[in-house]
Amino acid sequence: MSAITVDLRRNRLMLSYLIVAVLLVLLAVAGGFLSDRFLTWRNIGNLFQQLIVLGMVSLGQTFVVLMGGIDLAIGSLVGALTVFLANFLEWRPDLVWLALPLALVVATAVGALNGLLTVVLRVHPLIVTLGMSSIIFGGTLMYRKEPGGSVPRAFADIAYAKVGGIPLSAIVLVVIFALAGLWLQRTRTGRSIYFVGGDREAARLNGLPVDRIVVLAYALSGLCAGIAAIFLTARTGVGDPRIGAALTLQSVTPVVVGGTILAGGRGGVLGTFLGVLLVTMLNSLLNFVNVSSYYQWVIQGLIIIIAVGIHTTRRR
Amino acid sequence: MMVPLDTPMPRSQSISMASVFERYGLMIFLVVLMTVAALASPTFLRPANLVNVLTIAAPLGMVVVGQTFVILVRGLDLSVASLMATVAVLATAFKATTNEAIPMIFIAAIALSAVVGLVNGWLVAKRNVSPFLATLAMMIILQGIRFAYTGGAPISTLPPGMGFLASGRIFGVPVNLITLAFLAIAFGIVLHRSRLGREIFMVGSNPKAAFLNGVAPDRVVILCYVICSVCAGIGGLFLLGYVGTVSNWVGQGYELDSIVAAVMGGVALTGGRGNIFAALLGVAVLVVINNLVLLLGFPIEMQLIIKGVIIIGAAAFYRTRLA
Repeated sequence: MSAITVDLRRNRLMLSYLIVAVLLVLLAVAGGFLSDRFLTWRNIGNLFQQLIVLGMVSLGQTFVVLMGGIDLAIGSLVGALTVFLANFLEWRPDLVWLALPLALVVATAVGALNGLLTVVLRVHPLIVTLGMSSIIFGGTLMYRKEPGGSVPRAFADIAYAKVGGIPLSAIVLVVIFALAGLWLQRTRTGRSIYFVGGDREAARLNGLPVDRIVVLAYALSGLCAGIAAIFLTARTGVGDPRIGAALTLQSVTPVVVGGTILAGGRGGVLGTFLGVLLVTMLNSLLNFVNVSSYYQWVIQGLIIIIAVGIHTTRRR
Repeated sequence: MMVPLDTPMPRSQSISMASVFERYGLMIFLVVLMTVAALASPTFLRPANLVNVLTIAAPLGMVVVGQTFVILVRGLDLSVASLMATVAVLATAFKATTNEAIPMIFIAAIALSAVVGLVNGWLVAKRNVSPFLATLAMMIILQGIRFAYTGGAPISTLPPGMGFLASGRIFGVPVNLITLAFLAIAFGIVLHRSRLGREIFMVGSNPKAAFLNGVAPDRVVILCYVICSVCAGIGGLFLLGYVGTVSNWVGQGYELDSIVAAVMGGVALTGGRGNIFAALLGVAVLVVINNLVLLLGFPIEMQLIIKGVIIIGAAAFYRTRLA
C-alpha cells in the first residue's frame, strides 16, 4: 500500500516536471517564431546570466518549503548584503577575499537565526520571517537610504565572466543545484528535510533532531541569499537596500511552479530549476514582444494560481 | 471580551494574576506606552496630536476588521494593500469633480472589492490553494492591472467630499473614526453575536466538526474573504481621501500592519480564536508606537525594526498563553 502511494507521489512529481519542461519547449518555439533574435546564442547567454540571482533565492526557498516552512526574509537579506558588500568594497577594494566569505557567513547566520526563532519561540515561520524582514530592512535603511557604494573591477567581472563560452554564473548555478539535489536525495540529513516537512511529529518520534534540521534549512536559505547577493552586487555595482524587495515573492513562484508543495515534504530542486528557467524565459520573451512589465505582473500572478491549481489535489 | 462565545472556559476558573495579565495584557501595554509617550513628549497628549493619531489609525482599523475575519478561518490576506490602491485608482477613474459621484464611487469600490474577495475565497475554499499563495497572486495581479491603467503616473481627480470623509470632523470627531466605529460594531455583532459568527469560529477551530454540524465550511470561508476585501476597499477609499492623490502605492505596508495588529490583538493565526475589538486595540498600540518613534525624534526606519520585534514577540507571547 505504502509502496503504491510513494510511486504515485513520484509520478505526480514527474508529471509536474514534465508539464513545466513541455511549457519550456513551447515557450522557446513561440519565442523563435515571435522574434528572430530570441533563439540566438547571444540571447540564451544573456538569459543564463540572469538566472543566478532568482535561481539562488529560489533554491534557498526550496530547502525551507520542503522542510515545511517559508522564508519571507530573503529579499531584505539580499538587499542588506548588497549594501554591505558595496560599502565594504568601496572602503577597502583590496579585501574582496575577506568580504565575500564574510557576506556568506553573515547571511548564513541570519538564516540560522530565523530558524532558531521559529524553533525556540515556536511561532509560525510566516510571522518570524516577516518580522525579521521588517527588522533587517529597517536596519539597512538606517545605515543607507539610497543606493550607493562601489565595487572593484575584478569583482564586477565575475558577473560577466565566461568559462569556455558559458557564463560562470550559469555554471555555478547548475553545480550548486546538482549538489543540492544529490544532497537532498542521497544523504541522511538531506532526506530528513523531507521527513520533517512531511510529518514533523513523526520525524520527532523517529528520533530525528527536528529542531536542528529546521535551523539547517533556514541557514541554507540564508547562504543561498548570500550567494545571490554576491552576484547581484557584482552585476549592479552598487548596494541598494530596496533591490531585494520583489525577490522574496519572486523566490516563491519557481518553487511552486516546480511542483513543490507549500505544506512541505514533497517536491524537489529539479522542479525549482525548471521553474526558474520558465519564469526567466517567459519574462525575457514578454520583453522581446514588448509586453509592458505591468502585464508581466498579471501573468506572474496567474502562473502561481494555475501552477498551484494543477499541482494540488482536492482534500475532500 | 477576549474569549469568543463558543469556546469552552479555561480549565482553571480562578482569577490569577496570570489570567488578568492575559486578558488585559494588551490594554495594560497600551496604557504603559501612552504614559511613556506622555512623559517623553508633552506634545503626545495634546488633543491635536491624539486626533491626528486616530485619523491615521482609522483606515488601518478598517482593514484589520476584515483581516480578523480571514485569520479566524485559518487564512491570511496579503492582497489588502494592493486592493486599497486599486480601489483608489478606480475612484479616480470616474474623473468626478462634484460630490454627486461619491455614492457611485463607493458602490463601484465595494463591488470590485467583493469580486476580489470572492476570487480569493473561491481559490482558497474550492480550489484548495493556500491562502498565502492565492492572495499573493491576487496582490500581484491587481498591481499589474492598476499600473497598466495608470501607466504608473499619479492621478488626483477626486470629488472634494472625499477629503472631508477622510480628514473632516463632526463635532471634533474625525469622520473616518466614526465610520470605523460603525464598521467595527456592525461586524463585531456579526462575529460575536450572530449565528454566522459562531459558524466562523467553528470553521476556524475545526472545519471537520463544523461540517458534521451542518455548517458549509467553504461558504463561510468565502464569505470571510469577501468581508475582508470589502473592508479593505472601504479603508482604501478613506485612506485615498486622506492622501489626496493616487500614487499607485496607496496603502503599501498595510498587509503586514494589519496582520501585526490582529496578531497583537490575540487573533490566533491557527484560526478560531480572536476578537475584533482586541484586534483594534492592536491597531492603537501600533499607531502609538509609530507616533512615539516620531515624537522621540528617532529615525522613521526605527518603526520597521520595532514592528518586526513586536510581531514576533506578540506571536510568541500568545503562543505561550495557549500552551
